[in-house]
Amino acid sequence: MIERIRRLGRLGCEVLEGLGRAAIFLGLSGAGLPSAEGIRLWLRQMHFVGVMSLAIILVSGLFIGMVLALQGYTILVDFGAEDALGQMVALSLLRELAPVVAALLFAGRAGSALTAEIGLMKATEQLTSMEMIGVDPLRRVVAPRLWAGFVALPLLTIGFSVIGIWGGQLVGVQWLGVFEGSYWGNMQASVDFLDDVANGLIKSLVFALVVTWIAVYQGYALIPTSEGISRATTRTVVYASLAVLGLDFVLTALMFGELS
Amino acid sequence: MTDSPLVEVEGLHFSRGETEIFRGIDMAVPKGKITAIMGPSGTGKTTLLKLIGGQLTPDAGRVRIDGQEVHALSRKALFRLRRRMGMLFQSGALFSDLDVFENVAFPLRVHTDLPETMIRDLVLMKLQAVGLRGARALMPSELSGGMARRVALARAIALDPELILYDEPFVGQDPISMGVLVQLIRRLNDALGLTAVVVSHDIKETLSIADYVYVISDGQVMAHGTPQSLDVDRDPRVSQFIHGEPDGPVPFHYPAVDFHADLLGTGGPR
Repeated sequence: MIERIRRLGRLGCEVLEGLGRAAIFLGLSGAGLPSAEGIRLWLRQMHFVGVMSLAIILVSGLFIGMVLALQGYTILVDFGAEDALGQMVALSLLRELAPVVAALLFAGRAGSALTAEIGLMKATEQLTSMEMIGVDPLRRVVAPRLWAGFVALPLLTIGFSVIGIWGGQLVGVQWLGVFEGSYWGNMQASVDFLDDVANGLIKSLVFALVVTWIAVYQGYALIPTSEGISRATTRTVVYASLAVLGLDFVLTALMFGELS
Repeated sequence: MTDSPLVEVEGLHFSRGETEIFRGIDMAVPKGKITAIMGPSGTGKTTLLKLIGGQLTPDAGRVRIDGQEVHALSRKALFRLRRRMGMLFQSGALFSDLDVFENVAFPLRVHTDLPETMIRDLVLMKLQAVGLRGARALMPSELSGGMARRVALARAIALDPELILYDEPFVGQDPISMGVLVQLIRRLNDALGLTAVVVSHDIKETLSIADYVYVISDGQVMAHGTPQSLDVDRDPRVSQFIHGEPDGPVPFHYPAVDFHADLLGTGGPR
């Protein structure tokens, strides 16, 4: 019994220690003003993390918007409320689906790649040799990736929402015959910029920070073997997904629940 | 040793988990000389280099480079000190997203404001010194192991460091590139007057270029002296290592229960 309690305590200490390490790591890499060179590196990562994720995000956004319209229509039409389709599609996307699904896809597409890339740089001693040259890898390797993820995901989320709403229109208006004026008009009347658009963006900023942080930290802290890299990549996707879903509940409760 | 030492190690203790790797190491690396650190594999020679470079922190003891205590420095000061050091890694550790030219130019670009033409000249000079000026456009993945190590050497000397640390420079090299590397290390030292620490267990090559040798075993300095004095050392442990005898005070067998008992299954687990 005592042994169990002791083990639980040790586990708790280890978890706290890990969190502390990750927080120091975030502080060391995220702080400081960027140099001209830093901006160049950041732009390169924006291409890798952001532009290269564009295809998967946009295609997923299109399909999700289309499915939402299809599902929404079959339910709404029973109540003769299909005019509210635009409102339903836009609100579900802006408040919930775009930030969450984009973050999950981002963790799978860009997060795992970041972990594997940094991990391989560690395994081939590139990070150590950079340190020995007198260049801090936290500033040179980690910081541009961290900032790229932090900026890229919210932008991708906006793209996701826009194309999703357009996909909903495609199915709802073009295919199922909802009146176009009511699709857009109801959306315009019911979507509030601060309540819906801004809150969705805040969510996505939080997810961007958490997902990229987990990805680069897992890469930086992994055990530099092939097994270590594969484990860390898996951990990135698992931890990031769970963190996104858990935080989404908390944020939703704060933004839209009774708590506010 | 008449020169004042550039690197001083005092009473260094270090352990990884439960395993004690160093139990009180003392050594001095004189300025302008090649000092070799030798010892059987697994004695932590690379770990010692990492302790000198400040990548690992000792449990006890001190490492001083040019009077500065490495592990007492702030992160910033440590990085500043490292600009005066070069390190050649076993794998070369070239940046895989940059070509040969850019790899060598990297330290110059991050630490100096030299104009592009000057950087180009310096990089070509360093590449010429290692014989790879013609390979400047290749990517690290297109290089052989020996070439990668030479490029890494060019990068390590790009900023004309005072101290250069070689981590197993001869491992896995064919005889020709081995000869090239041995010559390069000696020549760079004579021409640039830099201080070098070579970690290696290739006895012949290392003894041929070293001015002073430390032999480490069991977490302690087992012997030290000039290559000539070690060659005639009577200590059976030193002699076993220097002359490469398979068995002796350093046993061939990893510690185990009695072989006979083990076969009969009475020796312990499995």
